[in-house]
Amino acid sequence: MKKRDTYLFVFVIFLFVLAALIVLPLNGGLLGNKGIQLGLDLKGGTYLVYQVDLSKKDPSMTDAQAMTAIQKTIERRVNAYGVTEPIIQIQGNDRMIVQLPGVKDVNQAVKLIGQTAFLEFREVEVDASGNPVTINNYLSQANLAFIDAKETGPRYFVDDNNNLAAVLQTDSNGNVGFVDANGKALDIATLKQGNTQMSSWIAARGDNGTQLTGSLLTKAAPEVSTQTTGSQADVNISWNSEGTTIFDQIAARLYARPSDSVQRGLGIFLDNALISAPQIQEQHYGGQAIIIGNFTMQSATNLANLLSSGRLNAPLNIIQQTDVDATLGSDSLLLSMRAGLIGIALVVIFMIVFYRWLGVLATSALLVYGAIALAIFKLIPITLTLPGIAGFIISVGMAVDANVLIFERMKEELRLGRTLEAGVAEGFQRAWPSIRDSNASTFITCIILYWFGSTFGTFIVKGFAVTLFLGVAVSMFSAITVTRTFLTAVVSTATGKSIITRGIK
Amino acid sequence: MNIVNKKYWFFLLSAIIIIPGIISLAVSGLKPGTDFQSGTTMTVNFQPSVEEGTLRQELTTLKYSDAVVQKEASGDYIITLAGQITTDERAQLEKDLGTSLNTTVTISSYESVAPSVASQTVRNATIAVAVAAVGILLYITFAFRKMPRPLRWGTCAVIALIHDVLVVLGIFSILGWAAGVKVDALFITGMLTVAGYSVHDTIVVFDRIRENMSKRVGGEFAEVVNYSIVQTLVRSLNTSLTVIFVLLALLLLGGSTIHYFVLVLLIGVTTGTYSSIFNASSLLIVWENREWNQWFHSSRKAKVTG
Repeated sequence: MKKRDTYLFVFVIFLFVLAALIVLPLNGGLLGNKGIQLGLDLKGGTYLVYQVDLSKKDPSMTDAQAMTAIQKTIERRVNAYGVTEPIIQIQGNDRMIVQLPGVKDVNQAVKLIGQTAFLEFREVEVDASGNPVTINNYLSQANLAFIDAKETGPRYFVDDNNNLAAVLQTDSNGNVGFVDANGKALDIATLKQGNTQMSSWIAARGDNGTQLTGSLLTKAAPEVSTQTTGSQADVNISWNSEGTTIFDQIAARLYARPSDSVQRGLGIFLDNALISAPQIQEQHYGGQAIIIGNFTMQSATNLANLLSSGRLNAPLNIIQQTDVDATLGSDSLLLSMRAGLIGIALVVIFMIVFYRWLGVLATSALLVYGAIALAIFKLIPITLTLPGIAGFIISVGMAVDANVLIFERMKEELRLGRTLEAGVAEGFQRAWPSIRDSNASTFITCIILYWFGSTFGTFIVKGFAVTLFLGVAVSMFSAITVTRTFLTAVVSTATGKSIITRGIK
Repeated sequence: MNIVNKKYWFFLLSAIIIIPGIISLAVSGLKPGTDFQSGTTMTVNFQPSVEEGTLRQELTTLKYSDAVVQKEASGDYIITLAGQITTDERAQLEKDLGTSLNTTVTISSYESVAPSVASQTVRNATIAVAVAAVGILLYITFAFRKMPRPLRWGTCAVIALIHDVLVVLGIFSILGWAAGVKVDALFITGMLTVAGYSVHDTIVVFDRIRENMSKRVGGEFAEVVNYSIVQTLVRSLNTSLTVIFVLLALLLLGGSTIHYFVLVLLIGVTTGTYSSIFNASSLLIVWENREWNQWFHSSRKAKVTG
């Protein structure tokens, strides 16, 4: 072997080992990366496209601001619902794409996303002697009964992530009981195992019983802090006239409680999750308040956005929805993987029967091809869909195509009386323009398909275009470099030479 | 082996396959799927299973009289509604069907598309097809720029491509009224892939003709073409066979979601191989010899023998 060929051989082997290490195991990674990402059609879930009716949004916001606020709102709701790896993207000016993998109850998830945001203010329940009430006080009761009997509304308990963990409420039969965020009954024994120090949040009401809610808020904006406590930014909020009265009544009551205590905080709840609990520091605000805290401009903006999204009333309409049952998804995955393997096995058998030892070489090159292609899918990463798998499998067929072109060419050259080495070199050189030209048309269609897939929101077309493009690109490398390297290595030995020669003739 | 000599027989075979398809396309067109037409499509599984008639009747009772019900081989039903329904209506439908038919209802896949999205998809699909056509034409012109008559070679490749596209469109038009098969975004994807592959195959054959022409100056054109086809025949068949193997495996054993997508590719690859071997290069000869001058004369015998 020539020096250059030896280097190339070592390089291909190195590449193969590296790719194999990246790829294996398929659902994890020896090199610490995650498994191959599966699309919604394979793992089940729902894909939603919303049209946002921006004509009904708060006029003080720009369209882009409103879209970002909606995106944040949906993100928060979806996270609270417990979806793993959701994707929420803004498409164009007024569309939102939401992908929820692995959701079991689609209807409920969809309703949760589409509901109008609800911003409300709550305070910590106190007992007769003014001590804050925790869930533990209720759990130790023999018969559940509200501690502050005047307030008959639900009690909210939030977990360490400030999401709603439990609600204590009166059901339609007048019985007091615990339910979870989705309204399902909770067992007291289970609750005792959890965090028992969660505060009991009750509605913050004015003297006439009206609850302070986001509809009374007129502004929430971040601003550079004028405080000297080291904080960079704060959030400036304003109330309308009704809100001004109620807020002052609540402030006067909470101000009477011990300073820096939980019961002096005003809990801001958005869609039943606690987003902030600032301390009341004045008795009288007169419609203006500043929420101070350890804010950066970024975190102040986030809070202001959340507060604004509470009064965001731009309705979301579903314009496209695709749900795939998780069982159907995993069935499709298994079936297609098996079908793909059988198809590839047929190709291998065919190649070996038809081209003998050359076929074995092509198969080894195919192995390298598969490892590299899958490694690229994992590294980018590519989300694998059912058509994507089909695209990959088709690219395997095309990878063989290049080899067939080369081998047929080699045979011809040998028939013309060339030596084996010359035949190999000539075969590769002559087949190259055909391989290049013929694959170019596939690249063109893939690029157009990718655009087509990106514009109309179905993830399925894009997946096919990407895997086919990458598959064909890698197949060109594999057919030219890998097969030639292997062949050169084999032909450089005397045994290899005679085996190949016998195989061809 | 003389392929170009029997070229009119191969053209005839193509015509036999394409003409019924064209008639079907003209009469009933293609059946648009939810992607293009808007509405709702769901695959519903009933445990225990229910009668098709009972289900239809129940849907009418539930005020879904426009629902189209189709039974799958697996026993699942595909229910298509003309419009979109709300999440509440969907939950109610699921519940009502379960109660009145005394069965467990599982919606294993659900797709709903608003008219605004559907019309946009149609527009984008049209753009995609047009851009692909222009892109492939430009590419063919580029690939054949060194040929003696690039326009002629390009045109023959494009005719072969149109041939392949018509075969697939025709078969799916027939499947549309015969078996209720609809075309969706994946169908367009498959069609564009077929177009790319068709050119792929033709280019390999044409490339060889170009090479042989430069080597064997003086040989009769038809002879060179035939020699080139025979030379690349094994390659053409072998590579198509490998792709056909994997597609067949996917069609017979793969997931049902991509069943028709794989069928598009399978038909397309098969016809693409056929047209590149038997049609595209033969057309070059027809053009070279201006054989249409003889078509309407009493002696229809081709001037050239291979």
